Amino acid sequence: MKYWKIFSKGILDENPIFILALSLCPALAVTTTVINGLTMGLTVMFVITSNNVVVSIVRRWVNPKVRVPVYITSIATIVTVAQLVLQAYFPVLYKALGIYLALVVVFAIILARAEVFASKNGVIPSFLDGFGMGFGFLVAMVSISIIRELIGAGTLCGVPVFGDGYDPMLMMVLPPGAFMLIGYMVAGVKTWNKKREEKRLKEGEA
Amino acid sequence: MANEEKNSIFKVAFNLIAACFISGCVIGVVYFITAPVAAQKAEIMKQESMKSLVPEAESFQEVQGKDKWFAAQKGGKTIAYVVPGESKGYGGAIKMLVAVTPDGKVIDYSILVHNETPGLGDNASKPAFRDQFKGKSSEQLVVVKDKSKAENIQAMTGATISSRAVTKAVKGSVDEVAAFAGGKK
Repeated sequence: MKYWKIFSKGILDENPIFILALSLCPALAVTTTVINGLTMGLTVMFVITSNNVVVSIVRRWVNPKVRVPVYITSIATIVTVAQLVLQAYFPVLYKALGIYLALVVVFAIILARAEVFASKNGVIPSFLDGFGMGFGFLVAMVSISIIRELIGAGTLCGVPVFGDGYDPMLMMVLPPGAFMLIGYMVAGVKTWNKKREEKRLKEGEA
Repeated sequence: MANEEKNSIFKVAFNLIAACFISGCVIGVVYFITAPVAAQKAEIMKQESMKSLVPEAESFQEVQGKDKWFAAQKGGKTIAYVVPGESKGYGGAIKMLVAVTPDGKVIDYSILVHNETPGLGDNASKPAFRDQFKGKSSEQLVVVKDKSKAENIQAMTGATISSRAVTKAVKGSVDEVAAFAGGKK
């Protein structure tokens, strides 16, 4: 139960994009198609989970004065390894992600989880925390990109869904559309979370 | 006292050095394993991308005296040249491979690297825009917005700069091949 809570808080209660509002930049940049959003989400999920594990293993030996540089080194190493592996075994995917792959190093959410959670907790909770946060990120990326691709290009994973009669709303695949959409989605998730909270309080009283 | 010792500059520095050293070793090992595979895959992808441009070619040979030029061979004859093209688009350099017949007609192209707007400029690699180039010669490669001019290139909606850049790069490659093949005859 406790472990489930650690994992699940990243999905709704503390969703990296909708609630913590971290790493919005890639959320705007790569969510133009579902495939891009999905690959980016999976990469971040992998990096944040493995980095949390590494940080929680080495936390005893890391001097608090240099913890941030050490965490960054660890993140950079994992990202580089992921990059090399993708380049060797999935060159097409590697090409599609391009520069955003290298930018994963500076995602605030990854360092934040290392600093806030993994540096103070054991390996298993840290793993679950990273996995949950990564999963929340993935869900957010995929849901944003589904809406943007559907409205902005009339396709889903590159397959047309609306037929020829649909005139795509170009603004949705451009940054302004992403800003507006993310704004609405943040509002929606916050309202829903509030409702759930109220319900929980009522049940607690009853 | 113990705390001071723990935080001495040497301890702190050593901590960082150790972290960087381990990270370096890990990356080194991974690179050692993946580098040959990556080089091999890149070569295969290059061959495949050329093959997709000129499907009827039997083999590709490097052209002597020209950097990164390939001649598509069929039955001992050169049926096409695959040459690199480059120009400046909306979001930076666009690099592409252009396949041109020896008499200076476009066969096809593929975009290798670009930074164009997703959903607008990056449609340049999609058939709707790309197919317009097939069989066109250098002087026909002009971007127009007039749908009646079917012999020219119709600009992509909302991406005039990208359309022009791609067309310019293709035109440059066609001219180069024409000069090269013409000079050889």
